[in-house]
Amino acid sequence: MATGVKTAASRADGVVKVYGKDVTEVRALDEISVDFAPATFTAIMGPSGSGKSSLLHCLAGLDRVTSGRVMLGDIEVSGLDEKGLTQLRRDKVGFIFQGFNLVPTLTALENITLPMALAGRKADKEWLDAVVATVGLGSRLHHRPNELSGGEQQRVAAARAMLSRPEVVFADEPTGNLDSRSGAQLLEFLEQAVSEFDQTIVMVTHDPIAASHAGRVVFMADGKVVDEMAAPTARKVLDRMKRLEA
Amino acid sequence: MWRATVKGLIAHKLRLALTALSVVLGVSFVTGTYVLTDTLGAFFDGAFAEATAGTDVLVQSAAGTDDDTPDALEPVDESVLTTVQGVDGVRVAEGMVGGFAQMVGRDGKPIGGQGPPTLGFSWGPTTELYPLTIHAGTKPDAPGEVAIDAATARKQHFGVGDRIKILFTGPAEEFTVSAIVGFGKSDNLGGATIAAFTLADAQRVVGQRGKYDQIGIVADDGASVDALVQRLEGALPDDIEARRGEEVAADEADQIKGQINFLGTALRFFAGIALFVGAFIIANTFSIIVAQRTKELALLRALGASGRQVLGSVLGEALAIGVAASIAGIGLGLLVGAGLRALFQTIAGGGNLPGASILLLPRTVVVGLVVGTGTTLVSAIAPARRASRLSPVAAMREDWSTAGEAGLSVLRLVGVAVALAAGGALLGRGLFGSDVALRFAIIGAGALLVFVGVALGSALVTRPLTGVIGAPMARIGGVAGRLARQNAARNPKRTAATAAALMVGLGMVSAITVMGSSIKTSLNKVIDEAFSADLTVTPKGNQEGVFSPEVAERVRKVEGVDQVVSLRFGTFQAEGRRRFLISPSERGLASVLDLDVQQGSVDALADGGVLLHEDIAGKRGLGVGDTLRMDLPTGPIDVNVDGIFRDRRVLDTSYLLSRRDYERGFTEQNDGVLLVDVAEGREVAAAGRQITKGLEDDFPNVQVRDQEAFKEEASANVNQILALVSALLLLAVIIALLGIANTLALSIFERTRELGLLRAVGMSRRQTRRMVRAESVIVAVLGAVLGIVVGVGFGILIVRALYDEGIRQLTVPAGQLVVLIVAAAVAGILAAIFPARRAARLDILQAIASD
Repeated sequence: MATGVKTAASRADGVVKVYGKDVTEVRALDEISVDFAPATFTAIMGPSGSGKSSLLHCLAGLDRVTSGRVMLGDIEVSGLDEKGLTQLRRDKVGFIFQGFNLVPTLTALENITLPMALAGRKADKEWLDAVVATVGLGSRLHHRPNELSGGEQQRVAAARAMLSRPEVVFADEPTGNLDSRSGAQLLEFLEQAVSEFDQTIVMVTHDPIAASHAGRVVFMADGKVVDEMAAPTARKVLDRMKRLEA
Repeated sequence: MWRATVKGLIAHKLRLALTALSVVLGVSFVTGTYVLTDTLGAFFDGAFAEATAGTDVLVQSAAGTDDDTPDALEPVDESVLTTVQGVDGVRVAEGMVGGFAQMVGRDGKPIGGQGPPTLGFSWGPTTELYPLTIHAGTKPDAPGEVAIDAATARKQHFGVGDRIKILFTGPAEEFTVSAIVGFGKSDNLGGATIAAFTLADAQRVVGQRGKYDQIGIVADDGASVDALVQRLEGALPDDIEARRGEEVAADEADQIKGQINFLGTALRFFAGIALFVGAFIIANTFSIIVAQRTKELALLRALGASGRQVLGSVLGEALAIGVAASIAGIGLGLLVGAGLRALFQTIAGGGNLPGASILLLPRTVVVGLVVGTGTTLVSAIAPARRASRLSPVAAMREDWSTAGEAGLSVLRLVGVAVALAAGGALLGRGLFGSDVALRFAIIGAGALLVFVGVALGSALVTRPLTGVIGAPMARIGGVAGRLARQNAARNPKRTAATAAALMVGLGMVSAITVMGSSIKTSLNKVIDEAFSADLTVTPKGNQEGVFSPEVAERVRKVEGVDQVVSLRFGTFQAEGRRRFLISPSERGLASVLDLDVQQGSVDALADGGVLLHEDIAGKRGLGVGDTLRMDLPTGPIDVNVDGIFRDRRVLDTSYLLSRRDYERGFTEQNDGVLLVDVAEGREVAAAGRQITKGLEDDFPNVQVRDQEAFKEEASANVNQILALVSALLLLAVIIALLGIANTLALSIFERTRELGLLRAVGMSRRQTRRMVRAESVIVAVLGAVLGIVVGVGFGILIVRALYDEGIRQLTVPAGQLVVLIVAAAVAGILAAIFPARRAARLDILQAIASD
């Protein structure tokens, strides 16, 4: 148990999340326990309303849990105050959202370095170059988001998420708005980040093909983990999902 | 469609409430001034009617009654009374006099005199003729007795039997209080203090021995007053008239009401500015709301609504807001009116205004509704038209929140050029044209157009300007400051319109600041150059008081005093207009004043005659040796032109009448100013103290000042007016700040997701607040800079236009303008308090999950 806490990059321990009160009460997470090892790429899947987004939000410190414990490395996220959470978001976690990932008034490069700038730190030049090179944005760095394609925008978001070398990058349907080619490019970059930079990534997705890029898939239903799958393929994931939704 | 309008209203209630607030404030100001002037007008109608309630007919000099000044009444000889008493139908006739009488408090300080007049008059035996009611004691019936008003008695703790010192134009005297009186039902007359004497005392103290100002008449019971007036007119000489008491009262009330209405008009001018600023904010808010509702409106279009229906929907929203805000404004205006009345009452010396209940006339309600609703509707036209032209396809587009409103069009450039050109032309005509009808309206319209032009045009320079203004913010504020700078530049039209609202108010403030400083420097320069008197003796207070010639006599006797020149003032009719003249005593005049005499000499005045300013002399083709006919109060006289002078910066008149002719032409002989030269080698300050000492007992209402004090007072007067005007412009500035707050709130609403994203990647609440505040400061400073540029431009034009009025020094007070910018920055922080808090409290999850 003690070693488990140490080794997991991110971990939920008996987490309950309830929205609303009385009649409108919704139990989004129902005593869920799950952990994510360092330098792994995990996809979370499940039907709509299964609680996968809630889980992601709670793990990332964007939302507070009703009960239970959320750990990020050895930090107890569920015990942090507003200030601590802001610090956590700057330094320990990275985010990639489905859409609207970039501040429209800033260039691609400024967006990438934004969390560092907010923390009042300078980005490590070598690491910045390495990340930018991996995302393959070289010539587009000084463009504003509205001059970039959807795929480029998501790759900028991914680079931003990596730049502070966070414990975990959380991605919420990162390929949701992309065509299949752009989506594949992004996912390849995420895989590369895991294999080359030992980045831990947790991704919520609907898309079995996206999930097949991960090393492990966690299936959720009704706020609980119902199954998991190692070395997934699109085919196997799709079959599993069909059974879950049936 | 109407349902959609109503739903829209409810959905956007907060931002609409802020928008409506600007209309509410403007309308309340308009309404409040009407309420105030109507209420005060009604009060004075009542007060004057009460004053002459028992008087059927008044007999007085006909001269001066066609004049607009109340003090122009020429006295009539006592012998007229005998004539009047002989007319059939006159039951009682009684002579009356009145004039300046200022009571002195127990602390030795004169009471009142800063605002309402200090009245002294006779209280004869016929009670019906006087509106005074005795609260305590008995009517003065022996020499040395006085009745004083209850308000003064109460405030200064005087009771029946007390001694009280009273100042007149002649020497001060002591009286015994025999009665405490009220004016009708109130304790005094609209703040004026009252001292009532026996007729003989009154005639002596106001300097009208053997004369009356008026003769009051009570008609026989049942006699026709009109017929009596006819008979009196027949019996009296041409220059003396008989009029019904109520008619005279109405005239007198009208005179005061004229002044009150002038005040009302002046206040409404500022209310107009406030509404003009409000119009900017409404237009801006509607533009933003239309932009934010693009999808919704386009969806309506896609579902089959016509462009006209969309237009109607937006205008309907404006109409509803306009009407609601106007009604709220009228309600608030009643409070403003009541507040102003209370203020007025305090200034009036605490005299109560009974019977003056707050008056809300139908006209006030109509004006408030029309102005408020009109402003809102007109401001909403452009955004509504834009909404009506939205293509249904816009509903399908994704990026409404990042897209600015349509780009800067050629149309806008043309609009800017036309507004600036037309505005400039009107300003030029209004300020520099000669004999322009409606001069102020033209100047106002010109200024308005220039403001509109600059407001439209400023969108073109918003990006570079916000870049410069935001530079320090970006340096100090880190990433929050940089983002703020970008945010301010991201929608130039919106930022420009928001800043423009502030520009108007601060532009006016800068203009009057430049004007005021220039007037001050010019005055000081005039005093330095043309005014060499060491000391001046003038009446205290603001009122155009005069004092007895005895003062000059006493000053002359003070050791160290070399020359004393006295100035007397008067008016006369020439070419159908009232002209102002000054009569200086000739001896020593040249040593205290430089008149820059071109022809003839000042000394010639000793034998009578007049000095003319070169402009008048040129216009009327008069030269030294010619005669000029002057229609003076005692009748027309021919005076010899003794000389032509050029410098009237100190003595602001075109006519300098010799003392000899003044004494012939005017019945009252009192000095207005003494110019004193101290002998060579004597200390001015010591002489000043000596003079003060010699006067303070008998003439405590005059003051002695040296050149420095004179300058200070001149500056203080200018400062006071500047402060007053700035205070009145404050409303426009406050409304503009509401506008900044409103725009920020709307922008934040629109950037919800962006803010959520920023928070998600590590922006702290503090940084979020700082970012919003910095944006607000940038917009406010932009408004201040634009305002100062335009305002200084206006100020320079106005000062140039006043060149002939003696304002020849242009001073741009850089320090004060910098203070204005700093104040704008602080105000920007204040305006951002609420929006910043809102932005910081944003729920990240909701923000990022809002699709």
